[in-house]
Amino acid sequence: MKLKADRVTLLKALAHIQSVAEKRNTIPILANVLINVVDGAMTLTATDMEIAVVERVAAETLRDGAVTAPAAVLYEIVRKLPDGALVELDHAGGDAPLGLRAGRFATSLNVLSVDDFPSMMAGSLPHEFRIPATVLRGLIDRTRFAISTEETRYYLNGIFLHVAEGDAGPVLRAVATDGHRLARVETDLPAGSAGMPGVIVPRKTVGELRKLLDEGAEQVDVTLSDTRIQFSIGSITLTSKLIDGTFPEYERVIPHGNDKILRVGKKIFSDAVARVAAISQERSRPVKLSMTPNLLTLSAASQDQGTATEELDENHVSYDAAPIEIGFQARYLNDITDQVEKEVEFAFSDSSAPTIVRDVDSPSALYVLMPMRV
Amino acid sequence: MDRQEVTRRIIHVDMDAFYASVEQRDNPDLRGRPLAVGGAGRRGVVAAASYEARRFGVRSAMPSVTAQRKCPDLVFVRPRFDVYRAVSAQIHAIFARFTPVIQPLSLDEAYLDVTNPLQAYPSATAIATAIRAQIHDETGLTASAGVSYNKFLAKLASDYRKPNGQFVITPRMGPDFVANLPVEDFHGIGPATAARMHALGIRTGLDLRTQPLSRLLRHFGKAADFYYGIARGIDERPVEVNRPRRSVGAERTFDADIHEWVGAQAAIADLSERVWGRCLTRGLTGITVTVKVKYNDFRQIVRGRTEAEPVRDAPDLGQRAMDLLAPCFPPRRGIRLLGVTVSGLREAGEEPAPRQLALFG
Repeated sequence: MKLKADRVTLLKALAHIQSVAEKRNTIPILANVLINVVDGAMTLTATDMEIAVVERVAAETLRDGAVTAPAAVLYEIVRKLPDGALVELDHAGGDAPLGLRAGRFATSLNVLSVDDFPSMMAGSLPHEFRIPATVLRGLIDRTRFAISTEETRYYLNGIFLHVAEGDAGPVLRAVATDGHRLARVETDLPAGSAGMPGVIVPRKTVGELRKLLDEGAEQVDVTLSDTRIQFSIGSITLTSKLIDGTFPEYERVIPHGNDKILRVGKKIFSDAVARVAAISQERSRPVKLSMTPNLLTLSAASQDQGTATEELDENHVSYDAAPIEIGFQARYLNDITDQVEKEVEFAFSDSSAPTIVRDVDSPSALYVLMPMRV
Repeated sequence: MDRQEVTRRIIHVDMDAFYASVEQRDNPDLRGRPLAVGGAGRRGVVAAASYEARRFGVRSAMPSVTAQRKCPDLVFVRPRFDVYRAVSAQIHAIFARFTPVIQPLSLDEAYLDVTNPLQAYPSATAIATAIRAQIHDETGLTASAGVSYNKFLAKLASDYRKPNGQFVITPRMGPDFVANLPVEDFHGIGPATAARMHALGIRTGLDLRTQPLSRLLRHFGKAADFYYGIARGIDERPVEVNRPRRSVGAERTFDADIHEWVGAQAAIADLSERVWGRCLTRGLTGITVTVKVKYNDFRQIVRGRTEAEPVRDAPDLGQRAMDLLAPCFPPRRGIRLLGVTVSGLREAGEEPAPRQLALFG
């Protein structure tokens, strides 16, 4: 195998690749990138056995062949090469080391056998749809913060992507929850997705996918079965296993009839939450919201540090229901308001019942937040 | 290194009737009156007693009803742990001016190793005097101090001129000082051990010193080395910085084995009061309660449970302990020892921690 590639092009592809390659080094071959030139076309592949990324890279290919070399090392070397460098990769085959030259720099990397590089078989992926990258980005951004990190509830360690009945017909929905808060975001049903099974896309896959969505491709082709999902984004293909579990029946925890409505400007609210919460370094200390007509008082207390309050009056707040006091983790409040454009709407029932949060200008997203007992 | 060359200088500082003195400081009406800090209720325990109350025989960890009987004029006030902790932090800051090697034992008591003090002082005694003066100036409270060459003797010394005094035990005095002491006054020899020593004819430090190590080992197992050392005024335990207490507990060996639930219940109630008393003097509570049962064949079992809410008071502790013990009854054999321990410790008097509620019930 022999090829010449522009440093910037190669570096960008290696950045995607090395982030998927296994870093814990339990199985050495998983730390390697597979460099493949077939019929003059170059691809890079990395996998951790859960996710595989294959990327086509523009290169001047001189000889077909395949080799695997340590992804992180290769990435570091290419990163440190000067701008505009032309990188030459040359592998004689078999156990021979991989030669890399750029200008007067030369290195020789140890390789592992291509035959040992695991292939993640996607199998047959019967469901297929196309979704704009911006829409997929919106589904991910507004749900991923709620993904659980608790490994015992593995079925919550991802985004539940499924077809559901929305207010105006079927929609594609993304839902994530960690048992304390829930995010539900929906979009028009893409053509071809109607018959797809509900699938749970693992957190790491969500993270890798999200990075790739910033690379400029406008459309993403999604294909899936009930065990695998594949995203084709421009020259990159991301294939992932799905979480084998049952997502809870989340609809039953979304309250109906919460009638105490608070509307407040997003920026002023989230700034106030951050200021008031700064009194306590404890992550799980609550910020208390006290509402009386057109007045919102935020407060927090720490046994060691003291207390803090901030009032937001009718210039920023609208509220005309019965007074209520309710406590939330500051981080949870801000995770949600981070997703809100201008104005946030809370719908409360009482101080120990789930609260609904919405972006006033974006009805496609709904958040449910459980309070703290103060 | 030759041990002779590294004679340590240890100070044990002990606040005088700490909680009670703070209350009397902050409330002039309480000054000069017999005062107990703790719950006045039927199952309440005295966390601390003022010197006026001690004259009537009121002691910390004593059931409040007993205290009230001994001293009918006794005034009870509820503990204010936030205040005690704040004063304790002030005192700790004073210690830190003299040495970084500080081992707090509770809110009102600490060992200091001043072998290498931060500022030059003519003697450890001068440091102890300075510490006590600064404590008095800055908190309005008095402390007693013991100065010696190890922790065991420093602690003995601080008791010697209490309240508001200090005493030095030099290496020359050490062995004689210990020789005249009844074993039950040794810190580290509890009532149960003292009783067993009495049974062996060991009543004083001198008696203890004449025991061969082999005999002590036979009777007291791994504690023998410590007893053998302290009988000679030797205690090599270092002043340990950052040694957080993990548990508070007490156990009792019975003269006659327990077979009946009623007897066990009474013992658990008694132990729970003692343990809770110790928790109170340290400003601690905990979420885990453990019960230890040793049978007359010396086999022992331990049963524990952790709950979300910390132990509230002695009856609560007693109830949790009894819930753990109940499944062990009727016992297969006689019970010779019961123990109750609180762990998963946290500071007492905190508001119950806010709790995140769950979406999926």
